[in-house]
Amino acid sequence: MADDKDVLRDVWFGRIPTCFTLNQDEVTEREAEPYYLLLPRVSYLTLVTDKVKKHFHKVMRAEDVEEMWFEYEGTPLKWHYPIGVLFDLHASNTVLPWSIIVHFKNFPDRDLLHCPSNSVIEAHFMSSIKEADALKHKSQVVNDMQKKDHKQLWMGLQNDKFDQFWAMNRKLMEYSTEDGGFRYIPFRIYQTTSDRPFIQKLFRPVSADGSMHTLGDLLKEMDPTALPNEGGQKRYQVVIHGIEPLLETPLQWLSEHLSHPDNFLHICIIPTPTD
Amino acid sequence: MAAVTNPAGVTERSGRVSAPRGGGRSMETWKREIVRQLNHRDRNQHVMYQDLIRFYTQLLEKTSLAKGILSCSKRRPSSDSSSSLSSLLHQNNQLKKTTGELAYQVVELQQQIKIKECVLEEQHARLSEGERQWTGAFDARQELQERVEQVRGQNEALKAEYDALLERQSQAETKLREEKVRGGRLLEDMIHRKQHAAASMNNRNERRSRAREAHLQRELQTAAKSKVTIDSCSSTPTTRSTSPKIEKQNESNERGHARLFRSASATSPKILSSIRELFHRKRRGHSVCSLVEDLNSPAALCLSARVPARARQVLEAHEQGINAVRFSSSSDLLATGGTDRVIKLWEVRAGGLTHRVTLDGSTEGITCIDFDPGGSRILASSYDKSALLWRLDDSVPKLTLTGHSRKVTAARFSTLPHQVVTGSADRTIRLWDLHRAACVQVADVASFCSDLVCSENCIISGHYDCKIRVWDSRTVSCVQELPAQGKVTSLDISSDHRQLLSCCRDDCLQLVELRWQSNDRMCFRADGFKCGSDSTKAVISPDGCFLAAGSADGVVYIWNVSTGNLETCLPDKHSSSISAVAWSLSGEYVVSVDKSRLAVLWSDI
Repeated sequence: MADDKDVLRDVWFGRIPTCFTLNQDEVTEREAEPYYLLLPRVSYLTLVTDKVKKHFHKVMRAEDVEEMWFEYEGTPLKWHYPIGVLFDLHASNTVLPWSIIVHFKNFPDRDLLHCPSNSVIEAHFMSSIKEADALKHKSQVVNDMQKKDHKQLWMGLQNDKFDQFWAMNRKLMEYSTEDGGFRYIPFRIYQTTSDRPFIQKLFRPVSADGSMHTLGDLLKEMDPTALPNEGGQKRYQVVIHGIEPLLETPLQWLSEHLSHPDNFLHICIIPTPTD
Repeated sequence: MAAVTNPAGVTERSGRVSAPRGGGRSMETWKREIVRQLNHRDRNQHVMYQDLIRFYTQLLEKTSLAKGILSCSKRRPSSDSSSSLSSLLHQNNQLKKTTGELAYQVVELQQQIKIKECVLEEQHARLSEGERQWTGAFDARQELQERVEQVRGQNEALKAEYDALLERQSQAETKLREEKVRGGRLLEDMIHRKQHAAASMNNRNERRSRAREAHLQRELQTAAKSKVTIDSCSSTPTTRSTSPKIEKQNESNERGHARLFRSASATSPKILSSIRELFHRKRRGHSVCSLVEDLNSPAALCLSARVPARARQVLEAHEQGINAVRFSSSSDLLATGGTDRVIKLWEVRAGGLTHRVTLDGSTEGITCIDFDPGGSRILASSYDKSALLWRLDDSVPKLTLTGHSRKVTAARFSTLPHQVVTGSADRTIRLWDLHRAACVQVADVASFCSDLVCSENCIISGHYDCKIRVWDSRTVSCVQELPAQGKVTSLDISSDHRQLLSCCRDDCLQLVELRWQSNDRMCFRADGFKCGSDSTKAVISPDGCFLAAGSADGVVYIWNVSTGNLETCLPDKHSSSISAVAWSLSGEYVVSVDKSRLAVLWSDI
């Protein structure tokens, strides 16, 4: 159990070293220095980049500044995905630090959602939690919570307070022993190769014969191509929180321990680098 | 980095794909794998960059600050830097200028620093000065605190003292209030008593004036009736007219001795007695004492007393019991004193008593009365522990002699002028000087003094211890003690001072011959004679031949001295115990008084 708690802690405190550089096309009064930051994997880009924004504002004229957005190697980064997911999906096998280009112009409306304030992030976050609980407990747990409990979840994330968050999140992770797990596992599978943003389907943690479903079982159902083929050739990596759990890892445990604060298990399937 | 992890993951997984079917141990394996990978991930992505990024951020902040300082001077040149060399030169010049300016600034700043240092030193000095002052002030404060403590202690002591005083004051005040209240009450009481006394005085005055009026009326009535008795009155002058003749004869016979025979002895048929009187007179003439006494008393002595036979007048003389009765030396005035606190003077005229004046002033009953030899003053002793002296023409006492601690039983004029003697129940005999109105000598006796008489240079007192004591009046020392049969109730001395009569409670009169100091005694008793009280007074007749005393049964007994037998007794007038008897010096009248307010005038006709 102590290990489980450590896992939760490690997941929460996971960080990605990031270098923010201003887009070359931006009009500046002087040269803009790059800005380095350790980004929390479980948080959202727009929630933790106030300092970045401030840093670059110094060298820019106020009239040139519009809504800030981020791009990595030509891909606009969606703020409503957790940072860890963005990194694992787009940059997991690149040299650190992660180099992100900051834009203040030409917001790509087609690809990105606008984020005028933190309340938008909060709304998104809370809706994710409610969706996950709908899958896990038919929304019973989240509906039993009071407004302040919801607020506690959000404030825990916003202020990076592990204990505050988990004091409440614990309830969302409970299940009756006779069921052996949640009703359905809230998960999302991201693929770089696919056009779809992600795969999300109903999937029970316990099979019809009573055995626990594993990560491998999930992938076999959702994306068999992600699994190694007969020849043992591994074409894809299955990455959660920057690590590759073994395929026999029980899905229920993964959902309890490796889920993001939004209660979803975000799984990235990326092609194995070919060197 | 990820490239490094991957091979490990791949190698491990190759051995573990079949694990889920292997058993429970594989559960641990996948978890351990996750923990390991997480640690590895953190090491590569987090720990390695943590410090680096922090330092970079710090540096960035510092440079941005530096830039901020320099930006003002650099901004413009940098914007012009793209132009020609001249502008660069210009820039150089400007920079030099700024360097100069900066150097100047440095100098200036150094100067400022010096000034500041001076100021600092000054401040240091001031600070040390202030500290010194502070320590001084602190010491002073401590001193002051000590003083405060001292003063507080003193204050407390004073306060305690003050409280104590306050308490005492309050106590004193309450006492004062109580005393005031008591004083007020006493004052009220006194006022009340005074009012009472005034009321009773008024009452008495009124009564007296009414009595006087009544008396006047009675006199007027008698005057109106006097016409009828004019013949009987004429006989009296005739008898009187005869007496001067005899007086003249007597004068020649008695070698110029002034004698006033106002009694009717000359006309008395008792020749025997008159002869004895003459004899008696001669005998007295030999003594020096009698000579002195005769000089003192201008009053006449009778040749012979007449034994009374019937009552001339019976009257209710006082409002309460009568204790004392006395004739004046001139025999025309009678004084009675009673329990009703007054002395009444009666004129003895035509065989009757007429009330002349009432003397008051005593606050208690009168016990004894004495006239002075000149007949102008009257002395009385009283139950109120005092003796009083009146002049006959004034009803208010001239003197009140106070000093005895109990009732005064006897008061007599001494043979010396201006001296009186009193005897009291307080077992003392006191001599008083009338000039000074003060007690001059006190004799302590062992017993209650009931009566006393005075002779030349001696005082004789009777006591309840059955003794009669003779005192030298000059030294006031007891020179002789004579025995008696019982409690002595009264004493009387004969007019020649040779015989002393004492009346005792054993119902016996005793006559002692004083002359030879022989204590020659004669006892007089009678069947039916009973001494009625402790103050029953018996008398010797002025000629010394008879003794008179009143009995408890209201009968006056008269004994003959020469025979020692009862001469006569006078019954039926008194209904209660007779307290005193008096015989007029003329020998003509006897008055007896009793406890039931009656006074009876007896005479032989």
